[in-house]
Parts: sequence; structure tokens; C-alpha cells
Amino acid sequence: MTMASIRTIAFWAAALLFSSCSQQQVESEPEVYSFQVPANFPQPVFDTHNPMSHQGIELGRKLFYDVRLSANNKVSCASCHQPQLAFTDGMQLSKAGVSGTALLRHAPAIFNLAWVNNGLFWDGGSTNLESQVFGPLTAHDEMAQNLYELVDELNAVPAFVSAFQNAFQEPVSSQNVAKALAQFQRSLVSAGSKYDRYRLNQTGGALTSDELAGLMLVRQKCQGCHTGELFTDQGYHNNGIDADFSNTEHEGLYTGRYRISYDLADLGKFKTPSLRNVALTAPYMHDGRFTSLEDVLDHYSAAVKPSATLDARLPASGLNLSAQEKKQIILFLHTLTDLGFTQNPDHHKPQNF
Amino acid sequence: MKRFLTFALAAALFSSCSDDDDNQIVTPVTPGEMSLTLDARIGNEDFALNKDFAVAGQTLNFNKLRYWVSNVVLVDTKGAEYKVPDSYFLMEEVSDLDLSGTINDKMTYPANKRETITLKNIPAGEYKTIKFGIGVDSKYNDNLSLRTGELTIANGMSNIAWMWHSSYLFTSVGGTVKKGADSKAFTAETGLNANYKTVSIDLPTPVNSSTSKGFVLNLDVIKVFDGIDVMANPAINAMTAPLMSTVSTNYATKAIIFGSEAK
Repeated sequence: MTMASIRTIAFWAAALLFSSCSQQQVESEPEVYSFQVPANFPQPVFDTHNPMSHQGIELGRKLFYDVRLSANNKVSCASCHQPQLAFTDGMQLSKAGVSGTALLRHAPAIFNLAWVNNGLFWDGGSTNLESQVFGPLTAHDEMAQNLYELVDELNAVPAFVSAFQNAFQEPVSSQNVAKALAQFQRSLVSAGSKYDRYRLNQTGGALTSDELAGLMLVRQKCQGCHTGELFTDQGYHNNGIDADFSNTEHEGLYTGRYRISYDLADLGKFKTPSLRNVALTAPYMHDGRFTSLEDVLDHYSAAVKPSATLDARLPASGLNLSAQEKKQIILFLHTLTDLGFTQNPDHHKPQNF
Repeated sequence: MKRFLTFALAAALFSSCSDDDDNQIVTPVTPGEMSLTLDARIGNEDFALNKDFAVAGQTLNFNKLRYWVSNVVLVDTKGAEYKVPDSYFLMEEVSDLDLSGTINDKMTYPANKRETITLKNIPAGEYKTIKFGIGVDSKYNDNLSLRTGELTIANGMSNIAWMWHSSYLFTSVGGTVKKGADSKAFTAETGLNANYKTVSIDLPTPVNSSTSKGFVLNLDVIKVFDGIDVMANPAINAMTAPLMSTVSTNYATKAIIFGSEAK
């Protein structure tokens, strides 16, 4: 080889390396996702540390349905949060986790979480979705995922490596798994029920007289806690399903909000779930003890158990609803079902995945 | 001739693929570096693991001491504050720790002793006060997906399971306590935003950053338990909110005092 030819090779070798890296550096920015606030909804308050992008949401969606996120590679988020059930599982207490052991809490629905500003989990033990995800991801009876292994497993999939780059311009990390899942979950907005069409005077929004009577009853009797268009105050209440909170097993699990605040006034309080899609999210309560809406209304009507922290909005003797009132309330609650949401292909398992 | 080729390739490799411009200037030792040492003690003795310390009729034997130091601020003689960027440090003295079941079914965190941190790029000046937090401020404590400094959920100084808030443990100290024939394991853990406290230490004489190497502060671990009978309260955590608050306040106001200028 002549000196000149070596110089030429060296030059091109160097040029190749420079150019391949500069291509990485001019990689396109993630596309900002413009969050549409439904006309009848309040403005959400977004966490500025995790701006939503189309790439971030799409990555989060892939991760949500990917069993690689569990120790035995058999459990995904969707194992307990199925889109057709408004991201619940129809189970009282799921055994779908890695250990096969029944969980101690009922899987909550996942929608309209962009408005959640007062804690996640039934007791509010997590401030935001970005922190919340590490709970189910690592919990022994849920996904039991080793976070180091997770990064290795995702790095072994070229499509994930590039998806993380595209969404965050960073490599795979457990923090970015959390951010992507949070973005996907915030994108899940349910605001297309018959009730919404009624509120916005749209076609198909005419409520029957029974549904209207049910709406009036819900406004009078339920919306103290299931407030506003989100049908939740994002607060914590003791709704009288129990009166004895002395069981401190499982790190105070049965004490409700108290295990987070250690304030005696919070004994037996649990998060108010939204009434939206409630016809799809049976069974009910933090432990899934009521199998039907009828059972729930029977409780509120005549089975409230008084205790020191019972919510003041709820009479100790119950709401004393007539059979007709219960029927009308349930008819109205069905108008909160949003099939456009549960059937939205953008929320379902990605194709070819 | 081959050397020439190798050099060209090596040069290409080194100069490409960097995300920032840091490696374009090779800086030797930054003149603005200062050290901050928190020398753990038991009264006048040096703190050590697996060693008996007789204190007020009890014998304490420690197996871990861990805490986050964050948001270090230097105040100069004119009152101007210099905030050390991304300053989140884990200080610790630990034997091998079993962290199984935290982010991983089986995991051992290796023994470590770390009392000194290096504060970089300190502007030249005369400094009279050093301030820092014990724990993690609410911005990061509330969001485990944010990264800065040494913060991580992978070292056992966080609560990511169901037990508490999904947040960081601010401090964790434990071992065994003996009184007469009684012997108990004890741990004192702190956390939660309300318990993030700032330590402020006035230096006896201002320190010039260009001539001084830094500061040594003394952390008296016994003062962490000031006002608390460890034998009677061997498990301090979120379930014992008033005691957790006392321990947090003790770290910030009683346990840490000025020691010396670093030599």
C-alpha cells in the first residue's frame, strides 16, 4: 500500500465516522402532542417535566401492552387494564400477576388521568403517573420486574431502541419507560358518552325521562363526591362500607388514606373513582366487593356503616333510595358509557406487535 | 505507516459521537473545586459500623448510615448565593446491603463508605456559609422519573412499592441497640416532603475558594436520636410521623456542626 492510499483510506474512514454520528445528532425532535380538552371539561394541569409527544405516547402504548415489562414475560399492564372495560379487568381481585396471588386492591380504571392532581392509587400513595408506574412494575405479586433486566430486554429490541431515541432523544432507561407510560395514559380521554352529547346539545344526546330523572338524582345525591364533568372530586372519602379500621395488616392497607397521611381523620378513606364508564368497570370499591351497580346503590341506600370518619355528606342512615330511584340512577349511569373511547383503536394493542 | 492509519481512526472515534462539547477542552484539575466532608461521629469518637458505642446506658452497634445531601449552596461574604448545580449526593457508610425486593428480586448493594463530595466549578470568592438539604426536595421527591445528580431509585433509598408514597427515603440509619439483657434491631428512616430540611452552617471565618480545599463538617449520629429512646422506639418511619419529624429536625439543627477547613 502506498502512503497516499493509506491516507485516502484514513480520510474516508474518518469521514464515515463523522458523518454517521452527525446524522444521529440531527435526529428530529419529538412531535408535540396537542392535548384536546373536551368542551365540557375543566383545564388539566400538566406536569411540565414530561411534555407529551406523538412518539412518547406511541412508545407508551407499546410498553403498556408488552409482556417484557414483567419478570416472567407473561404479564403486561393490559393484563389488568383492558381497554374494552375502560382499562379495568372485571375481576374482584386479580390473580393475573407474576406470583398468581390475588392482589389486595381492585384494578382501577384508566382514563381522564390528565386531570388527576391529588394522588394516584386508591389511597393516593403516588403523586403522579411517572412515579406510580414503579409500583405495579416492581411489586412482587404484580409484574415483579427487575428494572435492570427491563432495560436490557428493551435494548435487545431495535424497534424499542429507536422508539426511545425518537421519543426522548435518549437511550432506554427505566425513567423513560415511566415517562412514556405516563404520556400514553394521559392521552386516554373519555368524553364521548351519550351524557356528553346531551351536555353539548349534540345529535344523539337526548336523554329519556328516566335517564333525566337519574341525572337529577345523581346531582343531588352523588355529586358531592362524584363532582363535575369528571364525576370525581379526586378526593378521599369514607363511604361507609366499613366501620372498623383496626386491621393494620399489609402495612396498613385496610386503613385507606391513613396509611399515606397518618392522619386519624383519614381512616377508612379511599379515592373517589369517576362514574364515567361505570357500567363497564364492575366490580366496585377498592376491594371490588360489590358485583353490580344495584349492590352499590343498595349499600348507599340502606347499608351505610357509621364511624368517626364517615363522610358528612352521607347520612348514617343511608340515602334511602326507592326502587324507582335506583333504577333511574342506573339508567343514567349507563349514559356515561363511552364506547368511542373503549373501542378507539389508538388505545388498543398496536398491530404487528 | 500503519500508525498513521491507527491515529486517524482513533482521532475520528474520539472526536465523534459526543453529545456535548465537554471533551473539546481538556481541563486538568478545576481550580474552583472544593470538597465537602461530613465526618460521621459518635460524640468525640469516629463513627464505625459493627462497633459497640456505649451511650447513656445503652450500647449501639450500627450496620448502616445513609442520607441524601442535596441542593448545596455557598454564600459569600456579600451574601450572594452560589447554588451548586445538580447537587444530589448519597452519603453513606454501609456493609453489603440486601436490597432484594426493591427494584429486583435478588440484589446486593456492595459495602461502601462515602463521607466526602466534590463541589465543582465554584466561582472564586470568600464564602461564609454553606447550606444544603438533608433528603430530596419535593420536585424530585414527587417524580421518580426525573434524573439529576446521583438520584436513583436503584440503591434502596426510595420507596417504590406500596408501602409508602412512591418517593425517596431521605435518611436511613440502623443497627442493634442493647440495654442490659435486652437487644433489639433498630432503624430510623425519614422521608416525605414535610421532612425535607435545610442545614445552614456558618463558618467561623470566611473561606477563600482559591486557597482553601474545602470544609469538614461533623455529623454526630447520636444527636440524630436526640430526645428519642431508641430502645423504646426501635422502628422510626412514616408510621411514627412525630418521631420521623424529630429525627429530620435533629439532622438539620443538632447533628451537624462545623468541624474544620479541609487540609
